Amino acid sequence: MRFLVRLGAPVRGFLEFLGDQAHLVLRTLRHALLLRMDQLAVVGGQTKLQIRFTGLDALWLVSGTALLLGAVTLIQAFSQLSGLGAENYIGVLMVLIILRELGPLLTAVLVIGRSSTAIAAELGAMQLNGEIDALATHGINPYQYLLLPRWLGVLVSVFALVVFFDAMALAGGLLVAKLKYGVTFGFYMDSVRQALSNLDFAATLLKVALFAGAITFHACHFGLRIQRSQTEIPQAVTKTVVSALVAVFALDGLIAALFYF
Amino acid sequence: MIELRDLALGTPDGSWLLEGIELLVPKGGNHLITGPSGCGKSRLLKVIAGTERPARGLVRVDGREIWPGDGVLSLTERVRVGFAFASGGLLSNLSVWQNVALPLRFRGIPAEEVRVRAGAALERLGLQSVAELRPHALSASARKLGNLARVMALDAELILLDDPLEGLDAADRGRALGLVRGWIADATKTLLIALEDSTPFAELALDRLELRAPSIPLESP
Repeated sequence: MRFLVRLGAPVRGFLEFLGDQAHLVLRTLRHALLLRMDQLAVVGGQTKLQIRFTGLDALWLVSGTALLLGAVTLIQAFSQLSGLGAENYIGVLMVLIILRELGPLLTAVLVIGRSSTAIAAELGAMQLNGEIDALATHGINPYQYLLLPRWLGVLVSVFALVVFFDAMALAGGLLVAKLKYGVTFGFYMDSVRQALSNLDFAATLLKVALFAGAITFHACHFGLRIQRSQTEIPQAVTKTVVSALVAVFALDGLIAALFYF
Repeated sequence: MIELRDLALGTPDGSWLLEGIELLVPKGGNHLITGPSGCGKSRLLKVIAGTERPARGLVRVDGREIWPGDGVLSLTERVRVGFAFASGGLLSNLSVWQNVALPLRFRGIPAEEVRVRAGAALERLGLQSVAELRPHALSASARKLGNLARVMALDAELILLDDPLEGLDAADRGRALGLVRGWIADATKTLLIALEDSTPFAELALDRLELRAPSIPLESP
């Protein structure tokens, strides 16, 4: 019996965690619907700040990573497949490896590393300093002022960063294909276009939406649970990173199974 | 305006900090909550504000059930509450001016009126020179005055003050006391002041709730 109890505890913990996440999402959505027009300026201002931090400030990091990844992918592919007509599969390779999988996934990993950690730490510090209580007491709904702008900001940023990631990775691949193998721009782009389908766009959009939600609400969940001391902040940050990474990989697997299996 | 029935606050070790609190404060009423340090004054204010859940009991503010219920969210946009915290309470990523203006901006008050009201509150409390600084760059007394300025600018109907005079020098104390006395005289405002030492308000005829550590209220008129 004890064994069963011990076995059941993590399952119950996991289900409670899922319940908490669903509760946060639903409450944020409900309070988003209650926003008045004259509150949009304040909420919009907070959203812009989040977009600047999560999206704009990460642009160089994401672009550089994507450029290198695109180039390295083609170098490795050609080194293994040269002589087998690898240039005919350039588009398929880039779409399969970069656009379908690594673009959204690596962007999410970078956003988790940069932004979800910051959100968890910031909310935790606010909780400890009584700032969230002060906001709520003075009529500023924390769901509208804190959670909604972070969610929207991360959503817009992840979408923009995935677009940039994909574009820069394709540019990196093109650079290698052109310089080393003499592939033309037109041939390269045609090859990519033929390999792309509407399903890829739909899957990417779904990934962006779900990854952004997972990243934001994992960070908010662990940040807002901090109650007692500053030492909880690094613990919350670590839990956020691990938990959000697991969620993003699990969602990625689910979407791949749903769309391509 | 405030109704507490059979309210109890627990401690982490499972015992009662406060038990059986009964309190009725009518609209426009002024109440002092006094008692030694650690007797639960601040926590009682937080329970009334809806940011802390009591272990037991009913809390009603302006006819709305806060506990059991949704806590502070039941009051948002319905009752203008101002809370001057004993410490902290100002957003660390905003300047003092932004802190004072934020509740007004979120209520959709026009920018010009926000500017005038926030400016007047900061001027009244002598904070114009530090208005653009963030809370961490201020002294503890300036942060305390910042909390009062936010309450003043908001023109709150229900004002909760947690040790509003503690740690203030003579000049700041005079400013704060003048402001609080003005609120006491204003029949449109309901005031709850938690204090360890009630001497500054001794000459005013205020209702009192005396708490004593570790439990049991002495009286609630």
